[in-house]
Amino acid sequence: MGLTAAALALSATACGKSSTGSSSSSSAASGSAVKAAIAYDIGGRGDQSFNDAAFAGLQKAEKELGVKGAEAEPSQGESDADKVARLTSLARAGNNPVIGVGFSYAPAIAKVAKQFPKTTFGLIDDTSVTAPNIANLVFNEEQGSYLAGVVAAKASKTGTVGFIGGVEVPLIKKFEAGYTQGVKDTNPKAKVLTQYLTQPPNFDGFSKPDLGKAAAEGQLDKGADVIYAAAGLAGSGAIEAASAAGKWAIGVDSDQYKQAGLASYKNQILTSVTKDVSGSVFNLIKSVKDGKPQTGEIRYGLATNGVGLADSNPAFVKMTDVTAAVEKAKKDIVDGKITVKTAP
Amino acid sequence: MMKIDKDKLIIGAAGPVLALVSSFVLTVLVLLATGLDPIEPIRLMIDNAGYSDVQVLIVNYTGILYLAALGVAIGFRMNLFNIGVEGQYRLAAMVSALVGAAVDLPGPLHILVIVLVAIATGALWAGIAGILKTTRGVSEVVSTIMLNAITTSLVAWLILPKNFGVQPAGSNDLTTGQIPESGWFPGIDMGEGGQIYGFTFVALALGVVYWFVINRTRFGFDLRATGESESAAQASGVDAKKMIITAMLISGGLAGLAGMPILLGESHTYSLAFPVGVGFTAITVALLGRNHPVGILFAALLFAFLEKASSSLDIAGYPKEITQIMQGIIVIAVVVSYELVRRYGTRRQQQKVGEELAAGGAIKTDKEVSA
Amino acid sequence: MSPWHDNFTPPCPPAPTPSGQGECVINASSPPAVELHGITKRFPGVVANKDIAITVRKGTVHALIGENGAGKSTLMKILYGMQKPDEGTIAVDGEQVTFSSPGDAIARGIGMVHQHFMLADNLTVLENVVLGGEKLYGIGAKARKKIKEISDAYGLGVRPDALVEDLGVADRQRVEILKVLYRGAKILILDEPTAVLVPQEVDALFDNLRELKSEGLTVIFISHKLGEVLKVADDITVIRRGTTVGTADPKTATTKQLAELMVGSELPSPETRESTVTDVPMIQVQGLTLTEAGAAAAAPLTTAAPADPAAAVTVHEEPIAGRRLLDDISLTIHKGEILGIAGVEGNGQTELIEALMGMNSPDAGVISLDGEDISTVSVRKRREGGIGYIPEDRHRHGLLLEAPLWENRILGHVTEAPNSKRGILDPKAARKDTERIVREYDVRTPGIDVTAASLSGGNQQKLIVGREMSHNPKFLIAAHPTRGVDVGAQAQIWDAIRDARRAGLAVLLISADLDELIGLSDTLRVMYRGKLVAEADPATITPEQLGSAMTGAATGQLEGTEQSEDGDAR
Repeated sequence: MGLTAAALALSATACGKSSTGSSSSSSAASGSAVKAAIAYDIGGRGDQSFNDAAFAGLQKAEKELGVKGAEAEPSQGESDADKVARLTSLARAGNNPVIGVGFSYAPAIAKVAKQFPKTTFGLIDDTSVTAPNIANLVFNEEQGSYLAGVVAAKASKTGTVGFIGGVEVPLIKKFEAGYTQGVKDTNPKAKVLTQYLTQPPNFDGFSKPDLGKAAAEGQLDKGADVIYAAAGLAGSGAIEAASAAGKWAIGVDSDQYKQAGLASYKNQILTSVTKDVSGSVFNLIKSVKDGKPQTGEIRYGLATNGVGLADSNPAFVKMTDVTAAVEKAKKDIVDGKITVKTAP
Repeated sequence: MMKIDKDKLIIGAAGPVLALVSSFVLTVLVLLATGLDPIEPIRLMIDNAGYSDVQVLIVNYTGILYLAALGVAIGFRMNLFNIGVEGQYRLAAMVSALVGAAVDLPGPLHILVIVLVAIATGALWAGIAGILKTTRGVSEVVSTIMLNAITTSLVAWLILPKNFGVQPAGSNDLTTGQIPESGWFPGIDMGEGGQIYGFTFVALALGVVYWFVINRTRFGFDLRATGESESAAQASGVDAKKMIITAMLISGGLAGLAGMPILLGESHTYSLAFPVGVGFTAITVALLGRNHPVGILFAALLFAFLEKASSSLDIAGYPKEITQIMQGIIVIAVVVSYELVRRYGTRRQQQKVGEELAAGGAIKTDKEVSA
Repeated sequence: MSPWHDNFTPPCPPAPTPSGQGECVINASSPPAVELHGITKRFPGVVANKDIAITVRKGTVHALIGENGAGKSTLMKILYGMQKPDEGTIAVDGEQVTFSSPGDAIARGIGMVHQHFMLADNLTVLENVVLGGEKLYGIGAKARKKIKEISDAYGLGVRPDALVEDLGVADRQRVEILKVLYRGAKILILDEPTAVLVPQEVDALFDNLRELKSEGLTVIFISHKLGEVLKVADDITVIRRGTTVGTADPKTATTKQLAELMVGSELPSPETRESTVTDVPMIQVQGLTLTEAGAAAAAPLTTAAPADPAAAVTVHEEPIAGRRLLDDISLTIHKGEILGIAGVEGNGQTELIEALMGMNSPDAGVISLDGEDISTVSVRKRREGGIGYIPEDRHRHGLLLEAPLWENRILGHVTEAPNSKRGILDPKAARKDTERIVREYDVRTPGIDVTAASLSGGNQQKLIVGREMSHNPKFLIAAHPTRGVDVGAQAQIWDAIRDARRAGLAVLLISADLDELIGLSDTLRVMYRGKLVAEADPATITPEQLGSAMTGAATGQLEGTEQSEDGDAR
């Protein structure tokens, strides 16, 4: 047991000195210079999806609110303890709010929020942990996806449409559920081809365009002429394949018609299901700065334009029957006439 | 014979030192090539390691890597390359978490059940590769890689709410349900630093057991003999098939244990966010540690340090990927330098024996033959 | 010591070759084909070359003799460009050269026929010969013509279109020689070419060598078989402990003199004096049959052995699915008896050993040890039950080369005292016993913590013999127990086997060294194509007769009569 003793000694020598410094932290909400931080999910900044959207919100806050932003990336294969350490150090440094991007931050935020009751913690895509100083930022992805389903069913000539999910996790299943329901409600005879690229903990399905491309090609071969890819960066592969075949693609998260990296395919990007992560981040930061921090579940749905469809492709705007159907469906959902399922 | 022993020690240490120094130099070159200050991130990492919470993270991760690397090493000792440690670790963590959440037993018993289930799951999963190898001649390298892929799908399927998984209300995560508190392994509270997982000490104890089994038992001798020369071992009476299967079972069992520190000490459930990649890092750790329990401990400590001390580099504006580069270079450097050192060592010993015999240093024998 | 020249004055006879070469020579007489001077190679390990000087005359067969490990192979590797000497000069045809690869040596007209053939079995002779030499004469008709030409010129009798796998050992060797000649070699190095041949084949090889010589080629012939050397060589150089100790004239030298020069002491003899054979059977083998894997089920296993053993040979000419590696082997070895098995390698000896050890599973047959049926018993149980094993390939089957000596002492006996108790190793006792073995069996080592790889072959073998004898075996399998072992160790190993025999041990001796077989054995059997085809009395049999039987030409009880010669029956 000599090794044990050594291990203990190793820790003991530095007892009381922790990476975040203990007393130096300035009072969190000191008003004048608000510091906000986001801790990314796997993939980090540059994933052209989720994390990037969160970053965009932070940037906007920096520009418009004069907030000083900080970011931190996760390591591959880390545990909750690593996330706790990361959030703690961000909170100790005086950041408020501290936002965890993605549900995997839930257990860590539950712990850290208790230690920093004066700091607001944002938790995206999760409502399982709650506290007065936690804002759960969640989205009705299924509602946006329902509208995408309506578009797909209307725009399809073959009656076969495709859905490509990045990784088979409950979050993406919400996309699938809404989309499928939207298609079926519009054209009960339409066929939806569904494919997931990878299964957790393999998150390649969110990051590898070649996977998305191969899956889309398979669906195109089977006669699909509209493909909706909810697969982060991997979705760009699907867009590429659909575009090459002269078929329609539907983007996700942000308005992909406007994305520089996809400029050469944009004519075939009929629309995109937007999810206003960046807005939610901005709103949270703003609320803290204004001294009225958000708390509890903050839901972004169709009604608040937290999710929706992009209409920047002129070809889409020209399909008046499609847009009309979309408008009707949107109204029905907002009015509660249609309830969209969250699981297939 | 003191001289030869000292030589052996120097030669034994030469491999890792050579590997580490060359990987360090190469990493510095990479940093220079990308126009970054090569010294500052390393200084930051060393600084980081001075903090108690980082230290706790390092110690805890060391324990996890140590268990997995022991699993890899026992295979290496008989030339079995169990790449499937990752899959065995994940499946075992998942299944034992399921069982742990489903039963409610008094404290120690509850923990014991979880641990045994983990061992059994890991062992069975690795055993499949063992059986395929002995009955069908399938290389364990191929079959364990395949089993890793199958693990991913199998776990993803098992964890679906319609099967065994639980989706906590309001969460997008899937878990296996919470293990009751009786199944939690107590840790050592380090105050501000956090908790050292109690299972870390089990890991260290297993290192001692590993040493004893390998070096002091018949089984260990057979295992090593098989690793050094399969043909000689077979001629000596080792049942190669039995040996392969036994080694795979032990290897898988240890791999299964690798999930225990986190499961019993922190997460108390298997979720989509359960750490991955442990099994692959463990291969490097076992290689660097030369399959020796003490060597592996240092290698695990080093890798845990690299991993954990670098986690906040990005806040300081340095890419934390440099540790991955460093680890990758270590793998290559280890393979090359060990072979170099091995050849040098063999030559050197032959030379020494030749010299000592020429100088009349032989053990006095009964029959002295006239020259 | 009259036959020895103590200083090296190159004889320089008149050049036997016509002066077709474009090289300008200073001397009136042709320079020596090869002249090595002051060659020193500090080689890590046991033996290095030290100040070697050899002069090889053109158009002669020059024998290089020395014990195993004397440094012959190193020297030849230097000459063939595989290794660089630390000091000294090499001159070929009077011109000083340095070789940094075999390619350089080949360009200089030096060719090497290795002890282990380097031929692709599934290719034809033609394909093997042109392989890697495609630029010389192409791969088609021109190459075939050239092969025919060479074959005819030197009487090699090589058929270009035969598949190598169909050829016997002697034929393969001729293909190797042809390969070298095809590449334009004028100086041939033959590394222990007779080790794999039976006596009749050796004679045929020597005829070929004489043919080469008469055509003006030079042959360097490495061997440690003195009788052969005297038969074929024009000059002899003796190497001992890495240095040239003398030259000899084969016309006047005797084997005894050569041997004394080679080892610096008298040659031991494998002769076994008084018989210790008892009538208590120790090991009995009945109808042991093993079919080549893959088609095992196809061949009927119960074919009775034909009454006339001669007929058994012809049976094999028929195509049988699943070749029989062991064909109805029956034998009994009594306490105190050494049964020797003669045979060209690859005729089932290895399989027989493995079957007796339990390393393969025969299709039929019963093996009993000391009255107990052990046919289905594991290797370990057999070893515990008293079977000792000196394997034919000690590196593959007898040692852990990278492990220290004391661990090698445990190998094969890990379950037995003093190595372990109740599953736990006892390194202290094992080490102590290793020291005893080192002492009693004269293993030359500075200690028991050095690796097995750092010992010379002879000392490795003595360690194995000591280890196997330490567990009081009832039955010892000794496969080529003195192969690659120096003469001193050879005598000690023979002593050990004889001592054990006297103590009532049954021994199965398999060896390619016919003198060893005849000298040690109480009974001799000949193995051919998986069958025991002949029996002989070691007291009356000659190596030549045994050689005939080994090629399958003679069967049954061998008598002292001369057998017909059959050079390459395989």
